[in-house]
Amino acid sequence: MSLFSGQRAFVVQRVTALALLAYVAASALRLAFGPPLSFAHWQTWSTQPFGATALLVLAVALFLHAWVGIRDVVLDYVHPATLRLAVLGAAAAGLVALAVWTLVILTAHAISHLSL
Amino acid sequence: MRFRIYRYNPERHSKPVLQDYDLRIDSTDRMLLDALVRLKEQDDSLSFRRSCREGVCGSDAMNINGRNGLACVTPLKGLSEPVTLAPLPGFPVIRDLVVDMTQFFAHYRSIRPYLVNDEPLPDRERLQSPEERARLDGLYECILCACCSGFCPSYWWNPDKFIGPAGLLQAQRFIADSRDRATAERLQFLDDVYRLYRCRTIMNCTEVCPKGLSPARAIEKIKIAQLRRS
Repeated sequence: MSLFSGQRAFVVQRVTALALLAYVAASALRLAFGPPLSFAHWQTWSTQPFGATALLVLAVALFLHAWVGIRDVVLDYVHPATLRLAVLGAAAAGLVALAVWTLVILTAHAISHLSL
Repeated sequence: MRFRIYRYNPERHSKPVLQDYDLRIDSTDRMLLDALVRLKEQDDSLSFRRSCREGVCGSDAMNINGRNGLACVTPLKGLSEPVTLAPLPGFPVIRDLVVDMTQFFAHYRSIRPYLVNDEPLPDRERLQSPEERARLDGLYECILCACCSGFCPSYWWNPDKFIGPAGLLQAQRFIADSRDRATAERLQFLDDVYRLYRCRTIMNCTEVCPKGLSPARAIEKIKIAQLRRS
């Protein structure tokens, strides 16, 4: 696969879409048929290994999916090279910042839960 | 019958204009091309391409009431008035309804639209089974009229880099051919951010193809073939 492979992004977009779809479907089923969910309940779940892993997978899938989508829009509409580089750079920086923030939240919750 | 036709002559007009025409339709005028030929008798400055007048050469592709099609196979009956005619969207206009197809055919050439096979020639011909031949159905019929590429937003956005539905359908025609030996090279060439993967599956191509073909399906088959190879 070459550096400018289109297939890589195509596959990433579809695999992450499936992961997001599975998460949305599971969440909808849980909300529809499970017992009422409180914030404390949700917080506890997100610090347990399964919950934290599921959220981490969700976050990775979401950010990768968003990156491919933003990149596609930019490649279609933004043609001047400098502007394209600036928009892609800003999008990448924003997504990385959000990803780091997500990781900090998840790990902080897990650490506080373990210390308790 | 009333017509509103896109007129642009770079030697005389600074920008395109829409010109109205009225034409008395004869009982022998069946297709839009018949009316265009008679309009040209009224106004010989009106320019458009046409040749076979039976949907085989693809010369008279144009935008008819907002939808790409061939004038020679578009019945006059059923067209809402005024019949608005414009050149294929996204293509540089040379004059009136005549567009510059240079880039379109450059993309076509880029996919190597011929069999690549260096094996020794057989005595008579390279044979195919009926099943192998059937795989070309829905692909070989393309007449390169550009109705599909001219109706594809991805092609409008990146006409210099995206091969477009017509070129990709032709690419699949040779990928699917059992006599061709360059499948790997063809798939590798197409594995590019622009050439194939600018297709956003909008499917306008399949919607407007005057031959009833499905470039969107051909593009999907190329992507599946690439996945199987990787």
